[in-house]
Amino acid sequence: MNRLRRDPRAERLAAETLGAAARRRLDWSQKGTGAAPAAAMDAAGPGTRIVEAPAFLVFAVVDAPRDHLTAQDRQTLAAAHVLVGNGGAVVMVRAAENAAESGADRTLPLEVDPDPDALADQLTDLIAHFQPRHVLWPESEVGGDLARRVAVRLGEPLFCGAEQISVNSVRRPAQGRRIERRAKPPRFITLADGAIASYAGPRCEARLIEAPPRKAHVRAHLSVEDAHAHPAATPLAEADFVVAAGNGVSDFDAFRRLVSALGATPGASRMACDAGLMPRSAQVGASGTVLAAHCYFALGIAGAPQHLQGVANCENVVAVNTDLHAAMIARAALAVVGDAQAVMPALLALLEAEA
Amino acid sequence: MKALVLLSRGLHPVSGKPCLPRADAQAARLAASLNRDAGGLHAGPSCETVCEALGRGLTQLTHLRLDGDPVPALVASLRDLKPDVVLAGPRGQGGEDTGLVPYVIAHALGWPLIPHAVELEAVDGGLRVTQALPKGARRFVTAPLPVLVTAHSGAPSPLPFAYGRARAGRIHEREAFSPPAAPDGFETRPYRPRPRVLAANVGAHARGRVLINPDPHDAAREILAYLRELGVFGQRSPT
Repeated sequence: MNRLRRDPRAERLAAETLGAAARRRLDWSQKGTGAAPAAAMDAAGPGTRIVEAPAFLVFAVVDAPRDHLTAQDRQTLAAAHVLVGNGGAVVMVRAAENAAESGADRTLPLEVDPDPDALADQLTDLIAHFQPRHVLWPESEVGGDLARRVAVRLGEPLFCGAEQISVNSVRRPAQGRRIERRAKPPRFITLADGAIASYAGPRCEARLIEAPPRKAHVRAHLSVEDAHAHPAATPLAEADFVVAAGNGVSDFDAFRRLVSALGATPGASRMACDAGLMPRSAQVGASGTVLAAHCYFALGIAGAPQHLQGVANCENVVAVNTDLHAAMIARAALAVVGDAQAVMPALLALLEAEA
Repeated sequence: MKALVLLSRGLHPVSGKPCLPRADAQAARLAASLNRDAGGLHAGPSCETVCEALGRGLTQLTHLRLDGDPVPALVASLRDLKPDVVLAGPRGQGGEDTGLVPYVIAHALGWPLIPHAVELEAVDGGLRVTQALPKGARRFVTAPLPVLVTAHSGAPSPLPFAYGRARAGRIHEREAFSPPAAPDGFETRPYRPRPRVLAANVGAHARGRVLINPDPHDAAREILAYLRELGVFGQRSPT
């Protein structure tokens, strides 16, 4: 049910062509070589996209919290591939994991700085040095802020929150989604969430490029300190790591101790909330909260469709359930078929032994 | 500490009627938390709609009557009024909705801009802003004055509308001149909704590893190893 649908036509096309952008060519010579682009077979392995001397660059400035690309970051890289076509190269600005699979031809690291003005100065220097044809950001809290700072510094217009992007045009809503503005892709664009599917072409090389030496900038004297918020007090919709209990959990004291030991935000299924064992505000699902967590750990939850809707945006799911055929087991990246009541004390004992 | 809120005329997201955007009303509440005598600043042809802010925590409003690009008049007016803290909503609602105006103003004045504020506190010679980060994290930023701050949607909800205070609020009318907004060369059409692409990797590794009836301690070890690999557990840090 959660598996991606097969597309037999695309599979056949992929078998008959070489490279993502190649035209379908019938192999009349029957030598099996076809019209292989020179780039496709190289030292980096077959099926790797290699751009040796790009005609132009397109920057994709990603957020990459904790060096991990978000869904919006991957969409931004995919949009950069749309604008690059065949001649240019996609430069992922800021280092992150899985850069090659996500479509980065080049990687350009940024120095970490908590001050957004210092980051904007760095990026402005990089744009002046490399002269990219386009610069793309995700329209997120971090990316949107950085994009506006850079656009204002360089005095260039910014196309904010594009909902559709192609080589010829970008569109964005205006006046409260009553009208839409359309233009040829300008130089600076930010991309709304869900504007384009993530990059699914061949693996790229993600070659590291050297940044020019940094100029010293005068900056505002901002002092920044992190607030150590209690994860249990984090709103469920914003939480990064949620541990949830369902009908398979009966010892809620052990569940609460486990949640605090893992430093997670507690959640629950409708069954546990209806029984009064967890507060209604902790309910995950269509009638509760829809999560945006990076990881969801379900204890004793079978996975009703309404519950799975609540975790549809979670990238990593861990499930413990007694039923091998439960929907949550099928959804999980790591599934344990067993009793949650037995796994919880084992986890607590292991965490205590490590502490 | 003199606090001033930039107010914009918005359109209600559902009814389309003119209204004060919620984010601006939240900014007004943040300003009122700093100073009981906080003021508002609006540039536009009429201030009929934004007067609502007088009932939501502000005591006075300066209206720059103009038609066209409001930014030069706002910058000149802020140089004139010399506030310590200027607050704004993150973006307009019902206009171009680019969210660029605070950034252009901060750049023109050479002030620092702190986005995503949920709480403000006056400290010795500066302003301490509690800033909302993605994934529910918070951090404190202390900036020297003057400073421009934009409100986050997670800031405290607007103060309830007080009719008496709205009547008692003072409105200062000023004539201002601004050049007409430069044409942006965009083509305009009625909005057509497009289907959003959901996160494509969801379900990509459905049917991951399944451990069938393992020893609970083995299962616990596997789960902890997986959580550590993801980085959600054991090394929590914002951004």
